This record gives sequence, C-alpha cells and structure tokens, in this order.
Amino acid sequence: MSISATNKRHFIIIGVLVFITTIALGFLLNGVLPLPKQATAQAATVDNLFRVHMWLIAFLFALVSVFMVYSFVVFRRGSHEDEGEHFEGNTTLEVVWTVIPLVLVVVFAFIGVRTLADVTASAPNALAVEVVGQQWAWSFNYPNGTTNAELVVPVDQPLTLNMTSKDVIHSFWVKEWRIKQDLVPGMTTHINFIPTVTGEYTLACNQVCGLSHTSMYAKVRVVTEQEYTAWLDGQALAQGLQPSHQALLPGLQTASR
Amino acid sequence: MSVPLTSLGLVRGLIGYIAGFISGMALVLLTRLAMGAEPWFPEAVYVGGIVFAIIGFLVGVGALSDWLKWTRGIATPMQHGPPQGKPAWTRYFGVDYNHKVIGIQYGVTGLLLLIVGGTFALIFRTELAAPAMQFMTMQNYNVVFSLHGWVALASILIGIGGLANYLVPLMIGAEDMAFPRLNAFAFWVNVPGAMTLLLSVFFGGWDSGWTAYPPLSLRGAVGYQFMFWGVFGIGLSSILGSVNLIATILLMRPKGMSLFRMPIFCWAVLATSFIQLTGTQFIATDFLLMSFERSLGMPFFNPIMTAAGVNIGGQPILHQHLFWFYSHPAVYVFVLPGLGIISELLPVFARKPLFGYRWVALSSLAIALVGFLVWGHHMFTSGYQPYLRVAFMISTLLVAVPTGVKFFSWLGTLWGGRLTFPTPMLFTLGAISVFLIGGLSGPVLATVATDLYLHDTYFIVGHFHATIFGGFVFPFFAAIYYWYPKMTGRMYNESLGKLHFWLMTPAFWVMSIGQMSAGVLGMRRHIADYDPALGIAPIHVAITIAGFAIAFSILLMVYNLFSSAEVGVLAGANPWRSRSPEWQIPSPAPEHSYARPISVVGEPYDYGLAGSTYVAAAAAGDD
Repeated sequence: MSISATNKRHFIIIGVLVFITTIALGFLLNGVLPLPKQATAQAATVDNLFRVHMWLIAFLFALVSVFMVYSFVVFRRGSHEDEGEHFEGNTTLEVVWTVIPLVLVVVFAFIGVRTLADVTASAPNALAVEVVGQQWAWSFNYPNGTTNAELVVPVDQPLTLNMTSKDVIHSFWVKEWRIKQDLVPGMTTHINFIPTVTGEYTLACNQVCGLSHTSMYAKVRVVTEQEYTAWLDGQALAQGLQPSHQALLPGLQTASR
Repeated sequence: MSVPLTSLGLVRGLIGYIAGFISGMALVLLTRLAMGAEPWFPEAVYVGGIVFAIIGFLVGVGALSDWLKWTRGIATPMQHGPPQGKPAWTRYFGVDYNHKVIGIQYGVTGLLLLIVGGTFALIFRTELAAPAMQFMTMQNYNVVFSLHGWVALASILIGIGGLANYLVPLMIGAEDMAFPRLNAFAFWVNVPGAMTLLLSVFFGGWDSGWTAYPPLSLRGAVGYQFMFWGVFGIGLSSILGSVNLIATILLMRPKGMSLFRMPIFCWAVLATSFIQLTGTQFIATDFLLMSFERSLGMPFFNPIMTAAGVNIGGQPILHQHLFWFYSHPAVYVFVLPGLGIISELLPVFARKPLFGYRWVALSSLAIALVGFLVWGHHMFTSGYQPYLRVAFMISTLLVAVPTGVKFFSWLGTLWGGRLTFPTPMLFTLGAISVFLIGGLSGPVLATVATDLYLHDTYFIVGHFHATIFGGFVFPFFAAIYYWYPKMTGRMYNESLGKLHFWLMTPAFWVMSIGQMSAGVLGMRRHIADYDPALGIAPIHVAITIAGFAIAFSILLMVYNLFSSAEVGVLAGANPWRSRSPEWQIPSPAPEHSYARPISVVGEPYDYGLAGSTYVAAAAAGDD
C-alpha cells in the first residue's frame, strides 16, 4: 500500500479521467446514435432534450466506471491476506450524493415539463383530420368528407389528429415527426404537430395489435399548399363529393415561421 | 435403490393435474348442459379444466396433505431429513418442509425456466437476424415473443424465491422459515402455474406480449386463458411467499440482531416482500377480470359503443392502470434482491465494511415506495388525462435518487479495499456495469417528450433487459457461484466460471447497446420483420450472435454446477472468509443449520476491524 485511500492524489487523477471520459463518451454517444431526420416543429425540441440526456449519461457513466476501474487497478489485493481500510461510511458524502441527484431531478423535471408543453401545444387554427385505426389498416377522414388510405398534409400547417380505433389499441408513430399517440377504441385521442419538411414518410403502428402488426403501415405525404388542395379536390371528385376550399387551411398564415 | 415413480410427489402432482383438468372440463360441460347452453364453449370449459388442474396438482403432490389432516384433527409432527426408506435425492421431487430444500427447488426451477424463456428468445432472435421472414410466420412470432416475456418473468420471480428461501433463514440464524408448510405450498403452486403458462402454446398461445392489452387480449385464442391462470398461480406464490419472508425476518432474528444489524440482503428481501404482498393482487384481479370477460361475458375492458357514440361497455385503459400498478413495482421485485446480493458480496471481496449500511438498507425501502407511484410512465402515449404525464414524469425521475445512493455506496465500498476477483465478484461487478447501462437509459424515458419518440421501440427493449440482467440475472449467477459451496460442500470450477463471465458480459453489452441503438434508429418493438432501409440489419446480426453467446455461457455454468457437485474441491466451512452466520457452519449446511442458537455481538460487515466478530454461539439461557 503506497498511499492512503483518502489521499487527494487519487481524486485529482479521477477528476481528470472522468472529465476526459465524459467528453469522449458524450461525442461518441451523440455520434453513433443518429436520430432520424427532423420533419416537424417539435422534432428539434425532442432531439435537443435527447442530446442533453446523452451528455448526462456520458457524465454519470464516466463517474461510476472510472471510480470502479480505478479501484480495480489501485486497490487490487497483493500477496498479503490483509484487509481493506476500515471506514463504515460518511454521512456528509451520503447527503451530498442524495441532494445533488435531487437537484438534478428538479432541473430535469423543469426541462421535462417545458419540453412536454412544447411538443403537445395546440395551435388555434389547426387543420383537423380524423384518423381511424383497425386491424391492420389506417384511414384518414378529412373535413371535406373524404376518406383516404394515405395521410396527406400541407407543410407548415398546424394539425390536430383526432384518433380512434375500431377494434384494438393501435399507436400512431411517424419517426421523423417524433410523436406517438395510441388509438383506443371507445375514446378519441389527440395529437398536435406542425410538419415542416415536405416528403414521403411511413406511419407505423407502434402497439402490438395482432397478426399483421408488423406490417401495419400507411403512406404519409407532406406537400405544398397547392399540391394539397389539388389532391383533396381530386379525392373529393373521385369519391363523388363537392370540392370545398372553405377553411381548408385555417392556420397556414399564423403558423408560417 | 429403485424408486417407484409414483412415490415421487412431482409425478403424483402431474397425475393430479391431468385428472383435475379432465374433471374440471367435465364439470363445466355438464353444468352448461344442465343449463341448456351449448356445452362446448372452450373459454369456459378450459378455464374449468385449468382451475381444477392446478388444485389437482397441489393435492397430488401433497402440498395440502398436512392441512387436510388438521381438519380431521390429526397431528402432523414436522418430519426432518429425507423421506424414510427413500434415497436422499427424492426429497427434491416432492413436498419437503426444509427451507434449504425448498430454496434449491425454487432455484433449479427458476434456472430451468430461464433457459426455456431464453430459448424462446433465441428462436425469434434468429428470425430477426435478417430482414424479411425466414422460418417463422407472423402468428408464431407473436406467440413466441409473448411466451418469452412471461416465462422469463416467471423464472425471475421463482429464482428470487430461491435466493430468499435458501438464504434468509440461514442469514438470520433461524431454524427454518416462519411457516414451513406455507413455504412448500408457495413453491409447489408455481409448478402447475408454469405448466399452465407453457401449455398455452398447444391452445393457440397468446399474441399480445406479456402486457396483454385489451381488447386484443379479449380476442385471441383460448391460449390467453392458460396465460391468465398460469400467471395467477405464480402470483399466488409471490403473495404467500412474501408473507412468510416478512414474518421470518421480523420475528425470527436472534438476540442482538437489530434490523440495522441484519445482513443487507435481508433488507432487500424485506422491501421486495412488501411490494409482492401489496402489489400482486392488482395483476391477479386484472387477469381474473379478463378471464371472466372472455368466459362469462362481463364487460370490464371492451368498449361497447351506442349508435350515438357513447361507450356503455368497458374501458381498455383500466387494464393498463391495474396491470402497471403491479407490473412496475414488480420490476423492483426483480431487481431489489439482486441489488441486495451486490451489496452483500462487495464487502466480502473488498475486505471492507459496506459503505453507508443504513443508507443502502433504507434506499431499498425508498425504491419500493417510490415504485408504487410511477406506474403511469408506461402509459404516456395511452391517451389518459394529459396532466397525469407531468406527475408520473416527476415521480419517475425521483427513482434516480435512492438508486444513486446504491451506486455511490458500492463505489465507496470498493474504494480503499483489497480487491480479489473470483467468479462471484466478477459477476457482482458485471452486474453493476450492466445495471448502470439500464439505469442511465431510464431518465430519457422518464421525460415525456423523449419518451413519445422512444416508447415501444427497441430502446425500451434494451433498457429493461439491461436493468433485469444487471438487477437479477448477473447477481443471481454471482449468488449461485458464491453459495454453491454452502449448498454442495464443494467448489465450482473457477476457470469455467471465469470463462462464463468473460463470454457473457461483453456479449450482454453488445446486445444491450445494440438494442438501444436499433430503437433510436427506428426499430419498433414486437415486430417480426423490419425495413432494411432503417440500416439496422447489421445491428440485429450482432444482437443475435451476442444472444447465442450468452446462451452458450449459461450452458457452461449448468455443466460446471453439475460436474463440480461430484468432482469439485472440498470447500470447507468458509472459503470466502465471510463474517455472515451461514459461513460459520459446516458446508454443505446440515439438516438443522445451527446446532446451537446464535447471537449477534457486532456489526455484519466490520471487515478489517481487528478482533471484531459478528455472531457467536448464544449464551446458555438465551432465547
């Protein structure tokens, strides 16, 4: 035994190692875990919070694992059958490592509440589309009375999806949109979001719902305003309905950013 | 010595199971016939069969015999030692009241079920190794992953029963558990429970995963009933076992062993037992209601909509509340005993006191308590009142505080020790590393915004496998290696033990981190096939290889345990130089563990304090 377990040198070395490991691990975690493309207004909020979590994970993992590995190396027993240094605990330390996590909990609760409000906020002029799930298909009812097998929405228009299921519980998930909501028979659930990037996405059922749960997909398209109205008119004509442009895009102006 | 098969309780139990099954079915058929109903209604007929089969097993195996004799006024003196006129091994296949026998019965059953549950995982893991369907159909994929869930969970509950029943009376110097007959009953009800669970596969299985969300779980094959009642049997065991453990820990400690001088594992078992005693009823009720809804048409969960769009039926989300009110605390049932094992073993191999004993002890109770306040975090996407998300987010984050106390106390225990690394210590440290991965991946699921992305993806799969392997499987293996000499009198093969560790631990890291990465990239949970465009096929190959490596390493352990029982080096009473009472008696532990009562004269973990001891023979006249 060269130096005592309470010698400051140990803790200086560990501090440096924890710092280096945290930085390395933080960049590694955020590098090897690429989240899918962000295609809604709230996706960035979710991803930023995710990245903050990755840094917290990097720090705590570094803290515990550096202490452990350092102990393995430095406090490995030599040839003697001797015993460890006798200390039974330290109340100050216990209080410190109870209070600091408590403070972290408060901080994360605060961030958690703020981000939750952000990602669920509803806009006053949202376009409402009704989503119906059933084993193993999706359908989308628009305000003009059409029912469609694909979800087509205009870019930058706030949306509210009112969802229900005809049979068992399903779950609405488009990974680029970072939102998820169950569809429950017997009740209506809601989800608010603003798609920000045009393109084609896949809606996948995210709650096991029986035989073909795996392949319960629907195509989702985010298009420009013109393409949207043209598509909706086309659907209305095809389904024998009168095209109606009234209040089709209630929130586009207020939402444009 | 040849033993007639029917003299084994297990065989008589199986006969009772079959006889019960047939008579239960017949009873329901005849009742329905008498009522003028269509006699063959599988939902009701099979439930009758299952209930009578479980009772038939318990009667056949003899778990009720003494109690039935009491009703007729016949005294039943406690029999000690192997059954008369039969070889010693037969006692493990029938009702025996010695807690060490029951502990080993639990442990072996748990290990067997762990292997069965793991095998189900390997089957669908192989299917997932490449995109597109290879050799499974969607239907049998759903059935197999569902079976994997409940069989593995059953194995954990039963494995924990093994640890607690074998160790608690030994650690507190008690002759046996408080209620030996109840103890035997609580073990044996697991056997027909697990059989019923497994038999479901011959009746279409069930396809909803272990969570069994209605209305899906009200629609599938009659295999669902086998799952409900199998789980019910295993849950009954949890409740009765926990009553017994609480009574034993609170009432049967020796002189001088105050609660804060118990071996720390007993604190973990106490906290676990409080959860099991108060929580298990909720899932039992829930599964009963679902069984009744299916067989008797009572509308608890399935909504019935009127033409006006009003629901006059049941409420699907009710199930989620009842289910998670047990099943979240159940996660702490799975991990607290394992965390107790970690706290128990670290001081022995660091030759140092457990850092902050009282804090570690009370953190188990704190985790158990907070565990009852967090069930709604499984339901952030369920559609319940939005404000509930905030409450459950905060309560969930709070779990980090007592869990942090445990981690930091373990570090404090290692710090300044004289560490050695035999197999049990390796598994203890492996447990900490794996539980760390599981624990740290928790907060990102607690904050709702990130959970709305990650919920029901493979990230969750990675998270809970890491918590359960770190909190149960690794510590369970550490405990098996550590107490093996006390059970058999011989040492396991150290090289094989180390090989097991060095195969399993890196493989588990690969599996766990692979699962989490696949989830972040967009792999959903519970799917038989995935879009290769997600770029996750190589990750699935890695997870599958890692899964097989883990399975192989566990087979190495099984071989080690069997072969060392014959050829292992004699261990002696106390190969680990532990201060704990069970190591102060010969190995293997004798029929009556303690020839004389013990008393506690010091602290349990005062390693390195010259001249201190923990236990001594009680002075004459002491209770």
